[in-house]
Amino acid sequence: MNVKEYIESGILEAYALGALSEQERAQVEADIAMYPELADELTAIEQSLAQLANEHAQKPPAFLQDQIWNAIDGGIDDTSGGTPTRNIPVSPQAPQSAARQVSWVRAAMWAAILVSVATNFILLSQRNETREQFTAKVDSMAIQQQQLTDIVVSVRAERDMIADPATIKVEMGSLKEGKTMSSTIFWNKEKNEAYLALNNMPAAPEGKQYQLWILQDGTPVSMGVIPDEMVVEKGMMKVNASIPNGQAFAISLEQDGGSETPTDVQILGAVSS
Amino acid sequence: MPIQTTYTEQELIALLQQKSREGFNYVYKQYSAALFGIIKKVVADENTAQDVLQEAFVKIYKNVEKYDATKGRLYTWMLNIARNTAIDKLRSKGEVMQGKIQKGDDIVYGSEHEQQTEQATDTIGLRKIVDELDPQYKTIVELAYFKGFTLNEIAKSTETPLGTVKTRMRKAINVLRKHYSS
Repeated sequence: MNVKEYIESGILEAYALGALSEQERAQVEADIAMYPELADELTAIEQSLAQLANEHAQKPPAFLQDQIWNAIDGGIDDTSGGTPTRNIPVSPQAPQSAARQVSWVRAAMWAAILVSVATNFILLSQRNETREQFTAKVDSMAIQQQQLTDIVVSVRAERDMIADPATIKVEMGSLKEGKTMSSTIFWNKEKNEAYLALNNMPAAPEGKQYQLWILQDGTPVSMGVIPDEMVVEKGMMKVNASIPNGQAFAISLEQDGGSETPTDVQILGAVSS
Repeated sequence: MPIQTTYTEQELIALLQQKSREGFNYVYKQYSAALFGIIKKVVADENTAQDVLQEAFVKIYKNVEKYDATKGRLYTWMLNIARNTAIDKLRSKGEVMQGKIQKGDDIVYGSEHEQQTEQATDTIGLRKIVDELDPQYKTIVELAYFKGFTLNEIAKSTETPLGTVKTRMRKAINVLRKHYSS
């Protein structure tokens, strides 16, 4: 065995910290008995833990000293913990009842051990499950948080944009009889930016898509198509085109992907001068 | 005027075996604070900790014949009894087990908080060690020593390979050793 590697592996520390299984513990004890270097190393490790314990030292309450002495002196069973114990004299028991009691005690012990093992097993698996659920929840919360942060950032940008005195508002109203539709453009000419709020638009029919236009001296110029989900969510989107100039905005219904010129204008709004 | 006596470990063992009141008083005076300190690190609750201290002393007295000086110092042996009794107590109660899980998670996910409380309560010496210890090392030492987690459990709960857990234990203890030797 390579003693140096053995020491470097950290198994002696694991032993001193009480983190080994019964089997591993027995193996380490056998190894220590064979190699004095290991024993020396372990002593040094235990020494440091003892010093750690010294630093954590906390005086127990004064009354405990007598109480504990009574428990030791009275030979009270160490499983009795819990309630404060008094030194009550116990009368000697008859031999045959003692024997009966031993078998009782043994049966009770076995029962207790079985219950304890089963409980530990259940609790351990519960704990693992809880931990997994916890980790999953932490992950999903991190994702949600990121999404919320993104939303906050975009909402803030929209708010700043709308609050800007240079921003003008253009309401687009329905050109179709009997169909109430409306959307709003927030246009900041100084920053050359615009946002489109889809207030009230029916979902585009299958195969069709809405397209935004600006009328420049009577000529419609495309500002891009509008994603269907934006319409459904009645969302607000930034217009991905620079708008140097124009007199009116319009939204038309086009084939999927948009057209060169508007075919079926739905809503229209003039820029107030 | 009382005379302050000190005993060697062998004399102490003899005292324990004799079950003399004076011997108990001496052992109690010498070790109860350290044992109580480690117990409180495990179970936290004051009343439970007192029960555990009592159980631990009873066990020490009952088992002193089994103490094997070749396997380590008497102090270490007593510390281990106190620690194991406390961990058994932790495991014997469902709700306390829940507490242990809670603490495990605290250690894993809330080391900041942990550091705060420790700074509030501990000596300057320990604060220094806590500062020196990388949180990942500290976590492992606390899980093992104060919460009774096994190597396997630590590896699983911190999602760290077994070998890495062991080498981190070594590094953590090395920091302690360096600290105490300086």
